[in-house]
Amino acid sequence: MNKLIMGRYLPGDSLIYHLDPRGKFLLTFYFVGIVFLANNVASYAFLMAFVLFAVYLSKINLGFFIKGLKPIIWLILFTVLLQLFFTPSDHPLWHWGILTLSKEGMVIASYIFIRFILIIFISTLLTLTTTPIEISDSIESILKPLKKVNFPVTQVALMLSIALRFVPLLVDETTKIMDAQRARGVDFGEGGLIKRIKSFVPILIPLFVSSFSIAYDLAIAMESRGYKDGEGRSKYRVLNWEKRDNMTVIFMAAVTIILLLIRSY
Amino acid sequence: MENIISIKNLNYTYPEAKTQAIKDVSLDIKKNQWVSIVGKNGSGKSTLTKLVDGLIEADSGSIEIDGQALSEESIWDIRSKIGIIFQNPDHQFVGATVEDDVAFGLENQGMPKEQMVKEVDHALELVKMADFKNRDPQSLSGGQKQRVAIAGVLATRPQIIIMDESTSMLDPEGRQTVLDLVQDLRAKQDLTILSITHDISETELSQRIVVLNAGRIVEDSDPATIYNLGADLTHFGLEEPFSSELMSQLRGSLELPTGYLNEEELMDKLWKLRSKK
Repeated sequence: MNKLIMGRYLPGDSLIYHLDPRGKFLLTFYFVGIVFLANNVASYAFLMAFVLFAVYLSKINLGFFIKGLKPIIWLILFTVLLQLFFTPSDHPLWHWGILTLSKEGMVIASYIFIRFILIIFISTLLTLTTTPIEISDSIESILKPLKKVNFPVTQVALMLSIALRFVPLLVDETTKIMDAQRARGVDFGEGGLIKRIKSFVPILIPLFVSSFSIAYDLAIAMESRGYKDGEGRSKYRVLNWEKRDNMTVIFMAAVTIILLLIRSY
Repeated sequence: MENIISIKNLNYTYPEAKTQAIKDVSLDIKKNQWVSIVGKNGSGKSTLTKLVDGLIEADSGSIEIDGQALSEESIWDIRSKIGIIFQNPDHQFVGATVEDDVAFGLENQGMPKEQMVKEVDHALELVKMADFKNRDPQSLSGGQKQRVAIAGVLATRPQIIIMDESTSMLDPEGRQTVLDLVQDLRAKQDLTILSITHDISETELSQRIVVLNAGRIVEDSDPATIYNLGADLTHFGLEEPFSSELMSQLRGSLELPTGYLNEEELMDKLWKLRSKK
């Protein structure tokens, strides 16, 4: 549970790790966008090559990326099978009831499959090489223009980083409460779905209460250390946009141009 | 020596509570002293610290910190002079890493980045946690987390450190390292320590012990005098120190001096007992 929520940051040291998290964050979204521009074998192969190159640069074992596929493997298989058997075609290779297997279907299914792999690999690359706190810092930095419309950007960023900081603590708290309930005879793995859901109510309420008391303690601790309202604060963690980040953006632009050249219209 | 904390006729009742949490408390604390405030749960000791830091507002009475009266205007000034280490190490860790947490108080002051880096390193050096700078709190032991909390407080260079049962959730080893560290810092940094505890054995390093019971100061003296109260301490919900309890049991069969001896002194007395004969 812990690993699932915290992203799967993997401590390491390579070019990708040292890139500015803002750049990584935005470029990841950008890449997910341009994946949808690819529409032929060459363009998909090119994007695949790009992603594998990025994975290579990160110096992270490919196994970690394949693990990233695991949680949604059923969604991928379902989508691929749907495309495979339900793509209408004039020249079906095989036909049975509403199921049709054709060359076009196979091509589209494999495109979809590659698309999934591209998107998951690149977002896994972001979460593996960027700490949650860096991501929250980049969100703060990206949202900064909203300050002009009185959106409390610094407060939201602090909230986000405190939330991230307290996830493991709340997971511990949940385990404690569950153990306490188990000691009094609750079996969380038994009964039908409704019964199982019901048995979680006695966990949620104490968890709610204790998270409020933690929040109270933390608020007192923050206030005692001079936290007022987020105004006039300086920042210890400063993001530095460097030459290599410019280079990455230029490289990404080149990738886009090549992609536009080799895709079919 | 001058008083750094001066409390006069303080009263406080929690909203919707029937009894007063603090009843007419007056207390002067001298600079660079280590004062322990002891009492059972609900005796008002934690309330007193919150009042001193202005985290709650007294019903009546006055508090002066370093010659400055606590009021709406002076509150942030006064808070910068006081650092509090709370009980639960997990509930006061704000930053995502050790260095981020230490920097939190400095960020609140608006200190420039370059200076912050220096102060953070210096503070971590003082609590001997410099090697853990980039670690996340989850990977630290309770004692280490409390040391980081102390560093976070030291970084802002306060004059007073309040320890609000800061060692009660630590194992004996973690507790000892924290207490030794505070003792060491008090000597080197000219700090005043106010430590709140219900464990009498933790007060040995202090110069003065104030016993609170039901919101009132019931005893106020040096440790030896307080420990001499022996079994009377249980009236205030406190445990008699182990050596004092042992002595009163041994007095029936052995000839022991009156007055308090700490564990080591008692040990010395005991093994010299035979050689005298």
